[in-house]
Amino acid sequence: MNFQITHTTEYTYTDPVVFCHNIATIKPRTSLGQELLDYTIDINPEPTQISERIDFFGNNITRFTIQKQHKKLSVTSKSKITRNYTEVKERFFSKACTDVTLEQALELLNANNENTFTPKQFILDSILIRNTKSNIKAYALESFKPKRSVFEATNELMQRIFTDFKFVSGFTNVSTPLSVVMEEKKGVCQDFAQIAIACLRSIGLPGRYISGYIETLPPPGKPKLIGADASHAWFAVFIPGFGWVDFDPTNNKIPENQHIVVGWGRDYYDVPPLKGVVYSSGSSSLKVSVDIRSIE
Amino acid sequence: MEAKTASLIEHYSHIDAYDEMFKEDMTLRDTWKKVYHNFETLGHNEIISRQKDIDWNLSENGTTYNIYNDPNGQNRPWNLNIFPFVMHKKEWDDVEKGLQQRVHLLDLVVKDIYGERQLLKKGIIPQEVIFGHRGFLRQCDGIESSTKQHLSVYAADLSRGPDGRMWMVNDRVQAPSGMGYALENRTITSNVLPNLYKDLSVVDQYDFFNTFNQLLIDAAPNKILNPNIVVLTPGPSSESYFEHSYLANYYGYPLVRGNDLLVRDGKLWMKSLKGLKQVNVVYRRVEDMFIDPLELREDSYLGVAGLLDVVRRKNVSILNPVGVGVIENPGLIPFMPAIAKYFLDEELILPQIATWWCGQKKELDHVMANISKLVIKRIDRSSRETIVFGELLDATELEALKQKIKSRPHLYVAQERIKFSTVPNFTDGKLEPRNMICRAFAIADKAAYKIMPGGLVRVSSTSKTFKVNEQRGGTSKDFCVIDENYVKTVKPKYCKITTTGLTKLNDLPSLTAENLYWAGRYASRALVLSRHLRMVLKEVSKTDLSSTFQKHSKIDYLLNTVTELTNVSPGFSTSKNVDSPDAIKKELIAIVVDKNKAGSLASTLSLFSNSFYAIRNLASTDMWRVLDSMQKLWHPITEEDQTKLSYKRLIKILDQLITKLIAFMGLIEESILVEQGLLLYFIGLNLERAMLNTTIFQNMLIGVEEDHVQYEILEALLHSHESLNIYRYSYRSHINIESVLSLIMLNTKYARSLTFLVGRLKKDIGYLPHSKTTSDLQDYEKGIFEAYSKLRLSNTEYLSEISGTDLPIRAHLKTFLDMLQVLFLETSKSISDTYFNHSKGHTQLTSQKFS
Repeated sequence: MNFQITHTTEYTYTDPVVFCHNIATIKPRTSLGQELLDYTIDINPEPTQISERIDFFGNNITRFTIQKQHKKLSVTSKSKITRNYTEVKERFFSKACTDVTLEQALELLNANNENTFTPKQFILDSILIRNTKSNIKAYALESFKPKRSVFEATNELMQRIFTDFKFVSGFTNVSTPLSVVMEEKKGVCQDFAQIAIACLRSIGLPGRYISGYIETLPPPGKPKLIGADASHAWFAVFIPGFGWVDFDPTNNKIPENQHIVVGWGRDYYDVPPLKGVVYSSGSSSLKVSVDIRSIE
Repeated sequence: MEAKTASLIEHYSHIDAYDEMFKEDMTLRDTWKKVYHNFETLGHNEIISRQKDIDWNLSENGTTYNIYNDPNGQNRPWNLNIFPFVMHKKEWDDVEKGLQQRVHLLDLVVKDIYGERQLLKKGIIPQEVIFGHRGFLRQCDGIESSTKQHLSVYAADLSRGPDGRMWMVNDRVQAPSGMGYALENRTITSNVLPNLYKDLSVVDQYDFFNTFNQLLIDAAPNKILNPNIVVLTPGPSSESYFEHSYLANYYGYPLVRGNDLLVRDGKLWMKSLKGLKQVNVVYRRVEDMFIDPLELREDSYLGVAGLLDVVRRKNVSILNPVGVGVIENPGLIPFMPAIAKYFLDEELILPQIATWWCGQKKELDHVMANISKLVIKRIDRSSRETIVFGELLDATELEALKQKIKSRPHLYVAQERIKFSTVPNFTDGKLEPRNMICRAFAIADKAAYKIMPGGLVRVSSTSKTFKVNEQRGGTSKDFCVIDENYVKTVKPKYCKITTTGLTKLNDLPSLTAENLYWAGRYASRALVLSRHLRMVLKEVSKTDLSSTFQKHSKIDYLLNTVTELTNVSPGFSTSKNVDSPDAIKKELIAIVVDKNKAGSLASTLSLFSNSFYAIRNLASTDMWRVLDSMQKLWHPITEEDQTKLSYKRLIKILDQLITKLIAFMGLIEESILVEQGLLLYFIGLNLERAMLNTTIFQNMLIGVEEDHVQYEILEALLHSHESLNIYRYSYRSHINIESVLSLIMLNTKYARSLTFLVGRLKKDIGYLPHSKTTSDLQDYEKGIFEAYSKLRLSNTEYLSEISGTDLPIRAHLKTFLDMLQVLFLETSKSISDTYFNHSKGHTQLTSQKFS
C-alpha cells in the first residue's frame, strides 16, 4: 500500500524569536516492509542552515537553524511511503518466532557477540524509562513465565495494557514520569508503549520504542476528515534467534500497513519529532496536524 | 641535632603501611635523604615560618578551590603543604611508560567506541559497560576529531600499593583539573625552598606547559594560523574556577562562559564587545553532558546550543572532544588487560586495583559473598559520594547495598580495599604520615603523549580517612621528579609561539565587559555609601534623637537620604515605627552590616566582591591582598550580634573600609589595561557615582529650611561628598547653597563635581567600539551628551532659585536633577543593550525531563 503523509508542526511565540536551533526526527526511515518513495520538508521562515544525518539508531535527523527574527515557526514534511507489511507480520506467527520461550531467550541473550550487542542495549535503562519500580516487574510477571513463548507473553502484555489502561489525552505530557502512568493507568500511545518497554526490560528482554503515524479509517460511509490522523507510537520486543516483533498496545494489534514507521530508539527521548533551543524571552504554543491518504 | 630529629617525627612512631620516606626500620629511603636532611637543617621554627610563607603566597594569589555547599562559603583557600613528594627519575621512567601506554590505549578505546565498536562486537568489552554508562553519548557517535588523537588531555590518579609499585586508581578525561594547581604548587614551593630544589635537581615542567599551548594551536581545524582559542569555564562557582582563570591568564586566552559563545552559520562565535569573533579551538572545563543544550542536557546553561553540530562540521575543535566521559569508567578496569592485548599485544605496565564488574554472574557472586571487605563504586560516578566502603556498613546497610547492586548489577564494580602508602605531611609542627594520591597529566604531543614530570599530590585531611579528595578538604603537595643527572636547560618560563588574535578591546568577551562594568558600579556604590553612612553615623551618634528628631531637622534629611540612596526597606521615609532612637539605631546598623538586607552596604560589598571574582583572571596580586584584607576587616562584623554594635565601632570600621576601597580602586586603574576592559570599569564607576550623587543632591539640596538647619545640611553634604576641605579652600566663607552648587555640581575642574564626572563619562563612552563609527551619535552616547550640555548651560543663580510660599522648594533644581537622573538611567540601559545583551537567554522549545 502507498501513503501520502503530510505532517505540520507550528509554533507560535508570544515574543519574537531572534534565532533558533532545531532538530527534527520526521523523515521516515526505510525499514522492514517499508520504503520511502519521496520526501520534502518545508520550513518557514526559511532556515539559514539545514542538514541531514543518520543518528546512532539509524534514524533520519534533520538539523536546522533560523537566524531571521520570527514569531511563528512551521515545519511541514510530506512523505510518500510504500508499505508491504503483510508478509512481515505473517512471519511473526511462524514457529521460529513463537517457539522461543522466555528461558531460552534469556539464555541466548547472555552471550556477548556481534548478534546480541546491539539489541542488548535496549534492556538497559534509558532517559525516560529508568529505575522503574517493582510494580512494573510484578505487572510483567503476570504474563511472562520461563517456559512460556515470549511472543505469546508479549501479545498478552499488549492486550492487558489495552484493557487496564485508559486512553486519556492531556492527562500526561512528555515529562510525566512512568510511575504516574503506572499508578493512574491513564495516558496516550507513547505512555502505553513506554509502560510495555519498561515491563520487557524489567525481566531482561530488549524493548524498543517506535515513533510513527497511524492511518485512521473513517466510520463506514463517512468521508475522512483532514488532520484526523496523528503521530503514533508503539513498541517492539527482541526475540533472540528471530528478531524484532512489534506490538501496538493502544489499538491492541500487531502493526499492519496502516502503521508507518518514522524512527526508533530506547524511548520517546531518542526520537522527538521536533525539538529545539530558541532565543527569546516569551512562551510558545504548539499546533500539530497529520494527514494520511492512501494513494494508488 | 638528636632532639630536633625526634621532635620532627614523633608522630611517626609506628608505620602500618608503606611509607614513602621511611623504611620499616625507620631508616630513610635513599631518594628522601636530601629532603629530610634539608628540613632537619631548617629546623622546626623555620619550617613553620616557611609554611606560613606558602599560605601567604596562596592567599596573595587568590588560589582557591570551591566546595559545593560549603558552609564556610565559596572560595576556600587551596591548601599546600610545605613537605614535597619526591620520586626518583628511575622509578618515574617506568610510571611514565605506563601512563603513555594507558592513555594511548584509552585513546584507541574512545575511537573504537564511537566508531566501529569492534571491542563490543568481539565481546572484549561487554556492551553494558559502555551502553549502560551515562557518559556514552549516542549523539557523538561517528564524530571525527580534527586532532590525531581523540584524547588530547588526560589525568590519572595513582597510588602506591603495598607491593611498593605505583597503581592506577582513576582515569580522568572530561575536564581534568590539577594542571594549573600543579604549576602553582611548584612555583610557590620552589620559591619557598630554593636550596632544597637546587640540591634535589627537580625536573622542571615548562616544556610540558609549552607543549600544551602548541597542542591547542595545532588543534585548530584545517591547521589555520593564529587560531582563536578560548577557555570555557562553567563559571565562578565551579570548584576549580581558580585554575580556569589561572590557565587562561597564563596562556593569554579569553576565559569565557557558555553565555559568551553562540552558534551561527555552522560556526562558533564569541560575543565580544564589538560583535562576533569566530572561535577555532575550545579548551573546555565544562563536562560532556552540559556542553550543548540542543543535543545533550536540555537544562544546561553552561554550554552552547548547537555546538556539537559545529564540531561535526569540523568548524571548531573541542579539547577534549565531547563524549570521552565514557572512559571515566571503573567498569573498564577488568577488561584493560584484554584491551591491551587486542590493540597492542602488550601487558599493562601499570598495575590496577583488583576489580570485579558485577555485570557477570561469577563476579557478582564473588562480590555478594565478600561485600564487607570490598569497596563499591558505580561505573559512572553520578556523584562523588557514591563510593561505598563495605567495612563501614552494618548488616542492614549491607543488605540494602546488595539489593541495589542486584537490581542493576552492570552499573557497579567492587574493588579490593588497598592500603595505600603514606607520605610525611607537616602538620602542627610535626611530620605525620598521611595517605596520598598522585595526579599525573598527559597531553597529546604529535603522534605520542607527553607526560608532565611529577604533578599534583593530594593527602587525606586527617591521618585516619580512607579517601583522599580535595572536595572533602585535604591538602596538596608539590610532586617532584628528581634526577641528579638533570641538566636544567634555561628556558623562558613561557615562550609564546604564536599570539592569539583575541587581545584587543573589541575582542573582549561581553560577559567580561559586563562584569567589569558592574565591578565599577558596585565599587562606586560601596564607596559613596560608606562615606555617606559614615557621616550619618557620626551625626546621629552625637545628637540626642529623642529631643531633636522631627520633620525638617538635619537628621530627618540625612535619614531620608539614606533610604533613597540604598532603596532599603523599610528605611526611614514612610515607616512611622522608626522614629524612636532605638528603632533608628537598629535600622541604621542593619543598613550597614546586614548582608541579607537588599541595598545595605554589606550586600553591596558582597555584590562587589562577586562581580570582581568573576573577572579574577584580570586581577593582580596586590588587588588580591587588598580584597582579602577588606574581607577580613568586614566579615567578622557581619557575623556579630547587631544589637551589640556601637556607632563608634562601625565608624572606625567604615574609616578602614573606605581606605581599602580607595586603595583597591587605585590598583584596578593601574593593573588592568584599557584594552582588557578598564574602560568599561570606568564607565560603570563614574555612571554609578553620577547617579548616586544626583540622588544625594535631590534629597539634600531641593528643600528650603531655616538658615541654621540649611547650613548643617550643606555641611553634612560636603562631608559625605568629601569636599569640605576643598570648599573651605575655594570659598573661605560661610557655607551657602550657591557656592555648594557651583563646587560640587558645576565646577569643570574639580574631579568630584558632577560636571567633571559626566564630562569624563562622555569621553570614555566615546571610546567604546561602536562610537564614532559614523558622524551620528550612538543611542548610548546621546543621554550623556545631553546631560553634559545641560550641566554646562546651567548656572547657580537659576538652580538655587526658590519658589512656592507654603512649602518653598528649589523647583528649578528639582526639575534639573530629575532630568539628569532620567538621562543617566537611559545611558545605563542603552549601554547594556548595545554591549551586553547580544542575545536573549535560550529556552527549550518543548520541555523534556532529563537527568
